[in-house]
Amino acid sequence: MSVALESLATCFQGLIPAQLFTCSLDGVPNAAYLSHVDYVDSTHVALSFQFFNKSRRNIAENPHALVLVPDPDSGQIWRLRLRFVRSETTGPLFERMRLRIEAIASYCGLKGIFKLRAADVYEVRSVEAVEQDHGDGQYAGLLSRDDRRPVDPVFTMHALQNLALRLHDAESLEGLLDSILVALDESFGFKHSMILMPTEVDGELVTIATRGYPENGVGSESRHGEGLAGLVAEARKPIRISGLMRGILYALAMHHQSSDPANVIIGRKIPLPGLASPESQLGIPLLVRGELVGVLCLESEVPYRFHEEDKQSIEVLGNFVAIAIQNMQLHERSAAETTGEAASQSDEAGARVDAPLAGRHDVTYYQADECVLVDGEYLIRSLPARILWKLLTMHRDTGRTEFTNRELRLDKSLNLPEWKDNLESRLLLLRRRLEQKCPTIRITPSGRGRFVLELCRDVALSTRP
Amino acid sequence: MILAPLASFLEEGIGVHLGTRTADLEPNGVRAVAARVEDSGRQLVVYVPAVFADRVLPDLQSNGQVAVLFGRPVDERSVQVKGTFVDVRDGHDGERAMVLAQWDAYMENLGAIGIPRAVYGQCPRWPVVAIRLKVTALFEQTPGPSAGAPLP
Repeated sequence: MSVALESLATCFQGLIPAQLFTCSLDGVPNAAYLSHVDYVDSTHVALSFQFFNKSRRNIAENPHALVLVPDPDSGQIWRLRLRFVRSETTGPLFERMRLRIEAIASYCGLKGIFKLRAADVYEVRSVEAVEQDHGDGQYAGLLSRDDRRPVDPVFTMHALQNLALRLHDAESLEGLLDSILVALDESFGFKHSMILMPTEVDGELVTIATRGYPENGVGSESRHGEGLAGLVAEARKPIRISGLMRGILYALAMHHQSSDPANVIIGRKIPLPGLASPESQLGIPLLVRGELVGVLCLESEVPYRFHEEDKQSIEVLGNFVAIAIQNMQLHERSAAETTGEAASQSDEAGARVDAPLAGRHDVTYYQADECVLVDGEYLIRSLPARILWKLLTMHRDTGRTEFTNRELRLDKSLNLPEWKDNLESRLLLLRRRLEQKCPTIRITPSGRGRFVLELCRDVALSTRP
Repeated sequence: MILAPLASFLEEGIGVHLGTRTADLEPNGVRAVAARVEDSGRQLVVYVPAVFADRVLPDLQSNGQVAVLFGRPVDERSVQVKGTFVDVRDGHDGERAMVLAQWDAYMENLGAIGIPRAVYGQCPRWPVVAIRLKVTALFEQTPGPSAGAPLP
């Protein structure tokens, strides 16, 4: 092989359509587009097998194939002569290819429609550069990687050090999460990012911090296996998608051919934040000793933003961020445990209430759905909704404004999980949703494990079944 | 036979690739620049950069089997034309504007999905050879379960 397959990593991102040529045993050639050519090792690539089409039937009869795959950086087209070796229906290669297809389908709201039947592994018999026009009637292929546009490194040691410094300086979970996203923006250049964390409901994630999205999106939810974050949570592996627009077009084209409206996912109560036209996405599971602490998602409008060379750095980054978040959660919980007994008097020191504004908020708690609406608009649900309702009713009944995490933790009516209740992250989520949707009701930290409920407008409370 | 609506699609300036095979059934393929439907849809002329011609002409002249893939990037609509080789000649000056206009439209189409024109800046597009084939079958090739279904 004249050119090392490893040097063609950029060709295997699916940014530009590749073509597959096969031939039946009775001598009829066939040409088809490929969604993606996947790099396996220095002598093998894999093609996705989704449908029993003519190419697949030809390969079953005659294992020889030719693929034309373009390099999105240089425009150089490479001619790969292949020979079918085997189909894989389980294992890391199959999972990686399956996740990519499912992530794109899920992004389009078409999850479950497209299935990877197998990852077809081919031996690469030869790699050859297709002739390029170099002017003056001269044609030649680019035979050296030196001629290609150099990869712009993203995960540099300097950027990682900068991130580490910011994380060390954070004093609270809120500060830590914001520091992570700011560092990803300022040191790595990732301007659109979000962190999701598991809720008390099994298989559910909630967005707790975002950066670079006008709609904010804190409080939006995602189920395991749904969307990029949900797939990352389910697989517990990083998922990197380049050329998302092509993938979406490919998925939508398939959808038109196999349309089933019942498969389209219904909209959520709070939409997940996202770019209108993302080209690259990266999802990183935040794992500590196998436990999912959260999912970090990055988006870019640049088609090929996350490089193959970055894979190991991405995993290191995920581990580092995960440990920092879990440490901070444990630290905050420990600090809250040592806080004194619940404040019991109204208008204690620390309670700051601005002069009341005119009018009032109608706050309604829907018991069956465990969700809170303010002035008829959805605010939050599940545990953060139960906490808010508890605080507001206590305030109405007793006039109290200051509360402690500890008393919430001991309150059986809130039904917190006994083990790892993540109360501090639930309070942070509640605080951010209030800032976003109802800034005249505030929950403000007033010390370790303490916070103040501030009502700048009267509230009228009501419950519904 | 290629009917008028399909002929418009094939000639609008989209991706064109031509596939052949050797005597021992090894597939070959090259990128083409343009195509034109002739003889009331019974024949198709595919314009292939002359620098690529030697990769497929020996196959065409020995066994005549050919497959031409057409694809529009913005919606992934794709069609495959199967045929048998009729003849080959050099592209002439009178065809140059039409061939380059189709290529230009294809570049516009790629630009609409985020692939800059510069990426394909060094792709050979002229001079070309005009490969004529007799159309024997048409197939839907848009991704999905119907890919490969015969077209009327």
